[in-house]
Amino acid sequence: MNTVVLNQALFEAAVATLPADQLAPVRNRAAVLFSNEGFPSTRDEDWKYTNMSAATTASNDWLSEYRTSATIDVNAQQNQATLQEISAQIDATWLIVRNGVVDSLQLQSLELQHGLTISTLADSLNLPDIAIDTALSAFNAALLEDGIHIRVDADLRIERPLGILLIDDPSLRTSQTRIVIDVGKNASLRVIEVARSAVDGNQFTNAVTQIDLAAGAQVDHLRLQDRGKEHIGTHRLIAEVQAEATFSHNAFDFGGALTRNDVIARIVGSGASVNLHGLYLGSGKQHIDNHTRVEHRVGPAVSKEIYRGILTGQARGVFNGQAIVFEGADGTDANQANHNLLLSDKAEIDTKPELEIYADDVKCSHGATVGQLDEKSLFYLRTRGLDVAEANHLLTRAFAAEILSSLVVEEAHEYVQKLLDARLAELLGDDST
Amino acid sequence: MSNMLEINNLHAGIGETQILNGLDLTVNSGEIHAIMGPNGSGKSTLAQVIAGHADYRVSAGTVSYKGEDLLEYEPEERARRGIFLGFQYPVEIPGVNNAYLLKAALNAKRRHNGLAEIDAFEFLQLARKKMSDLGMDPVFLNRGVNEGFSGGEKKRNEILQMAMLEPELAILDETDSGLDIDALKAVAAGVNALRDPARAIVLVTHYQRLLDYVEPDFVHVLSDGKIARSGDKSLALELEEKGYEWIREAAAG
Amino acid sequence: MSTDPSNLDSLVNRRYEHGFVTDIETDSLPPGLDEDVIRAISARKNEPEFMLEWRLKAYRHWLTMQEPEWAHLHYPKIDYQEISYFAAPKSDKDKPQSLADVDPKLLETYDKLGIPLHERARLAGVAVDAVFDSVSVATTFKEKLNDAGVIFCPFSEAVMEHPELIKKYLGSVVPRRDNYFAALNSAVFSDGSFVYIPKGVRCPMELSTYFRINAANTGQFERTLIVADEGSHVSYLEGCTAPMRDENQLHAAVVELVALKDAEIKYSTVQNWYPGDEEGKGGIYNFVTKRGDCRGASSKISWTQVETGSAITWKYPSCILRGENSVGEFYSVAVTNNMQQADTGTKMIHIGRNTTSTIVSKGISAGRAQQSYRGLVRVLPQASGARNHAQCDSLLIGKECGAHTFPYMEIKNPTAKIEHEATTSKISADQLFYCRQRGISEEDAVNMIVNGFCKDVFKQLPMEFAVEAQALLNVSLEGAVG
Repeated sequence: MNTVVLNQALFEAAVATLPADQLAPVRNRAAVLFSNEGFPSTRDEDWKYTNMSAATTASNDWLSEYRTSATIDVNAQQNQATLQEISAQIDATWLIVRNGVVDSLQLQSLELQHGLTISTLADSLNLPDIAIDTALSAFNAALLEDGIHIRVDADLRIERPLGILLIDDPSLRTSQTRIVIDVGKNASLRVIEVARSAVDGNQFTNAVTQIDLAAGAQVDHLRLQDRGKEHIGTHRLIAEVQAEATFSHNAFDFGGALTRNDVIARIVGSGASVNLHGLYLGSGKQHIDNHTRVEHRVGPAVSKEIYRGILTGQARGVFNGQAIVFEGADGTDANQANHNLLLSDKAEIDTKPELEIYADDVKCSHGATVGQLDEKSLFYLRTRGLDVAEANHLLTRAFAAEILSSLVVEEAHEYVQKLLDARLAELLGDDST
Repeated sequence: MSNMLEINNLHAGIGETQILNGLDLTVNSGEIHAIMGPNGSGKSTLAQVIAGHADYRVSAGTVSYKGEDLLEYEPEERARRGIFLGFQYPVEIPGVNNAYLLKAALNAKRRHNGLAEIDAFEFLQLARKKMSDLGMDPVFLNRGVNEGFSGGEKKRNEILQMAMLEPELAILDETDSGLDIDALKAVAAGVNALRDPARAIVLVTHYQRLLDYVEPDFVHVLSDGKIARSGDKSLALELEEKGYEWIREAAAG
Repeated sequence: MSTDPSNLDSLVNRRYEHGFVTDIETDSLPPGLDEDVIRAISARKNEPEFMLEWRLKAYRHWLTMQEPEWAHLHYPKIDYQEISYFAAPKSDKDKPQSLADVDPKLLETYDKLGIPLHERARLAGVAVDAVFDSVSVATTFKEKLNDAGVIFCPFSEAVMEHPELIKKYLGSVVPRRDNYFAALNSAVFSDGSFVYIPKGVRCPMELSTYFRINAANTGQFERTLIVADEGSHVSYLEGCTAPMRDENQLHAAVVELVALKDAEIKYSTVQNWYPGDEEGKGGIYNFVTKRGDCRGASSKISWTQVETGSAITWKYPSCILRGENSVGEFYSVAVTNNMQQADTGTKMIHIGRNTTSTIVSKGISAGRAQQSYRGLVRVLPQASGARNHAQCDSLLIGKECGAHTFPYMEIKNPTAKIEHEATTSKISADQLFYCRQRGISEEDAVNMIVNGFCKDVFKQLPMEFAVEAQALLNVSLEGAVG
């Protein structure tokens, strides 16, 4: 049960301080919706295993001395250093988004391929639909100082990946980030979101990424969450996929104290294809919750989803994968799998793969496993001279490798591999029970 | 010798795609015909149309079987009237016992012919006998229909069904493909055992190999949805030597 | 594909065979529920004080509870004051002592249902404790069971004759407060069966109860309690069928199983209550709480169910695997056709070390029916070496039905090995064509394929039940397939 509630008066006061720009009507609408619902509670089926009390407290603290980020002193130097560290390793066009607001100087300095447009939401000439479909996305929209709007013209192939470094200033307890990406007909874009913390602190970031794929479009989206150990993060990804479009999402969750990711992939055109791959590594008291929902509204279409988790210490993983096949979505082929390795006595996984099917010409399957490394393989490696620890490490790495190998944004492969190896080494050495 | 199957000017296809373009073929009882041809020439389509697969649409022409319009009948009626199709890719039906299917099929045919259903003991005797003729392990009777069978086992199982059902017109669609030499010989023996003046057999095949073991009376070469050339078994050997391109050129020329 | 979907539809639509009403005067309480009604039920059954107290506590708690809404089910609100909570067939004041004493009309009813009690019971070697409108009317093979020391009697009789066993075990698996429907049952339960198998005894025959709902507006609130003492073994069969009616009838049964050390209980159900008509009118609302407690080491509880009836099914036969090395199993075939809705599955709670559970669920949905598998596998921190394997397959027949899978896995022990697999598919056109090419009619082919799909469950049923179940499945799906 959540005993903490958000202070409504502070919330309303904060919404009122935001500027009267083109986002104002959206904020007001969202504020009403959020006020009706409040923060999700563990009594909600979707939040059964994840408690948002700490996030609510952080939000109250934030609202009690609410300031827009424009008034915050930024440690620009440090952020630049972080950016340089990452951009040296991932070849991409990089943006910095701090506290949800894009660094406009940095943005202006970029040379973008013709047909790729990036603006703030407040300045966007074509204000997109701001999705408000849950309490948290309403909270995000109501207090959205600004967001990012990325557009790719039809038939355009953006060669270089677009990197977005998400980083928050430690003086703000909470931030709202909204990225809206519209990819035109037969266009393609690769996006890398890297979420980092400037310093370790129990900040709460509430983020939404919306991606619209027009017919025949292709988007490869990587989200790498490597926040500090005390960070609380929620991220909602909503992808709308039109006919013959292909959407691939790779998620890597390495950091954070409490992480909740929602992925909603809505197939609205025939011949579309959706691939979701996720890897979560938890140690200490980390709590990582992945909820995915693939909506097959139209068929034929294909979706494939694999999430894997490795948990040690007292970490808790939650997985909920929904595949919904709507009436008439014939020719749907939906496949989903969730595999988990528990490495310590107190680690825990709650997994719930769901199928909800209202059409008959479908091929749907899901599987979930919880287990340990294969004894036979361990033995085999030992007969080849590896010691137990080495054999364990090797097989655990192999378990994670399937997700890494599905990473479609080539440029990021090496970097993710490096982080993964470091994180795995940490996990396998973790005996905090 | 009487007229078993008479196909005139058959045009048929799947969806919008036309595959057979005016095919003519006459098969009399007692005969073995081999239908050869390159991939995509319409061999399997012909087999499926004769068996009555609903995906295949006949747009023109006639197919008569023992003097009756075959196209009028549902697939199961065709089967009960004596037409057997050995499938190129026999389907797996998990959980359904092989013996059960076989017995149900046999009894459906017996009922159609006004015969009493076969009793369990007699059925088992018969099935075991036929299996031993084909070199099949009787345990296959108790497995799910084609469930987990190897390619060769599936094809032997088709021949077993044919042997049990004793069709008057058997069409074997690439029953020889993917078989090792032992399985090929077993299949051929099964076909030869069925050779009978009251029965006709149509072998649809890509290669001449099976014809070394089952000697056909006629060989037809299918090209672009028609019979491009007919002959005796020497035609098969000629094909083996010269390849299908030769027929196509000849047809074009 | 070779099949015209409208054909399939016409196949599913064979009507319910067991629709008739027996004309027997019933001795009923008027509709309504309050403490006086509960006192009246208890008084009519001459229950001892402890039983009345138990019922009243359950009732008072029930008043504080909310009807659950989480299931994937839609039905009009039930008015609990419209239901009559007690009905007994009138054949003198005392219960019949033998079959000869039974109202002949009642025996006729059983005949119509294909359950010629005496003959069938004797031929099959089955003892039948027939529950008709809540009160047991006939018990056979008592002597043979007596010789073995097995107690198999109506629940009401057990309350009088074996109060120590009832006090010890009643509510020990499904507590009064467990859930809304279990609390209601605890307050108003009419009758049911009680089974006790003494230490080391292998019950000499399969035990079975045929349930039947008859009088109008009569809820059925059976309560079954089976206790298998150390090293004992019992197989219990439950089968049901009901007459055709327009009003919805509520059924909220509770079944409690207790298996002590090395004991084994096999509980099989064939449920064929009236499902309502093609438009969803009428039919039984079936809200059942079934739970087994593997209390002792190396004990085993196995649930097998074939569910083809009822308009609404809400049912999760579960196992609490407390004893070390204990084993829980759930094998289920559920068929929903027309407007039927079922939300069914199981819970496997692993508490003891090296406990094992197996779940095999086969769901078939046709017409406009909606069916959900809902399952929970929970491994507690102390349950080292827990193993679970779950296989949930759905077969869809027709374009308007739905099949859903909601498996929950909550794993708190790193040595657990948990595997869950689910598939959803339709009967393939290739399979149908293959069978038809072998001369088998479409309807027979569908039956064959569906039975093949359910085979892993059917083979768990006792032989005579398996045959019945298979036939039932064919009837339930007639007209469904094309």
